[in-house]
Amino acid sequence: MSPVGPINPFAVSPLARTDAPLPAVGLHSTGAPGIPNGEGFGKVLDSLVSSVTEKQAAAQAMTRKVLLGETDQLHQSVIARQEASVSFALMVEVRNKLVESYQELIRMSV
Amino acid sequence: MNLISGIDITAGALNAQKTRLDIVAQNIANAHTTRTANGGPYQRQVVSFESALLRQAGIDGPARQTVRIGSIVPDRAAGQQVYNPQHPDANAEGLVSMPNVNLSYEMVDLITASRAYEANLAVAKNARSMAMKALEIGK
Repeated sequence: MSPVGPINPFAVSPLARTDAPLPAVGLHSTGAPGIPNGEGFGKVLDSLVSSVTEKQAAAQAMTRKVLLGETDQLHQSVIARQEASVSFALMVEVRNKLVESYQELIRMSV
Repeated sequence: MNLISGIDITAGALNAQKTRLDIVAQNIANAHTTRTANGGPYQRQVVSFESALLRQAGIDGPARQTVRIGSIVPDRAAGQQVYNPQHPDANAEGLVSMPNVNLSYEMVDLITASRAYEANLAVAKNARSMAMKALEIGK
């Protein structure tokens, strides 16, 4: 048997070998739990934005209640607004970090 | 998710102090009320607070306690008897029983409630600015 045999590129289909295991390993090891695959960036931003939107909707509902006279919890409405504002700031901060790391990757010399 | 730590504790305290202020307002407003639904003059209401468990002790730290209104009970002290035969609520001897509201007590309660409210607002403000400062770590 020739020692070259096992590393003969034609012995095993190179396409099958590089295609099948690599994407699976790459995606499962880098993807954070809760982010299935593929568009990680988009998913992360999407979940962030939706949680911030939730907070803002809650704050809006609270303010609406106060303005309609259904409750006199003025401080609750202001506190809800502050929470929404802080979570918005957190979202912006995370977005900045994501974009920063993306640009870092783009600038990487190959 | 609670980004601003302790804000729910402060919210409970703000609510309690606001209720206390409402009761002081009610006492002052009724300082000369000689007729109520229960009969007799208005009786001064007194607020007492009690602590309320907000969160059990767990992974995220010790138990947190906020405050809420425990009870609002009438002050049983007797009111003044004022001689005023022209008053519609005067009795046979011409005496009117006035509410037991003492304006100096109410003013002191008012100032205390207002200052306590301010103190809790300061906590809320600082908790928020601490959260914002934490976000500045990455800058």
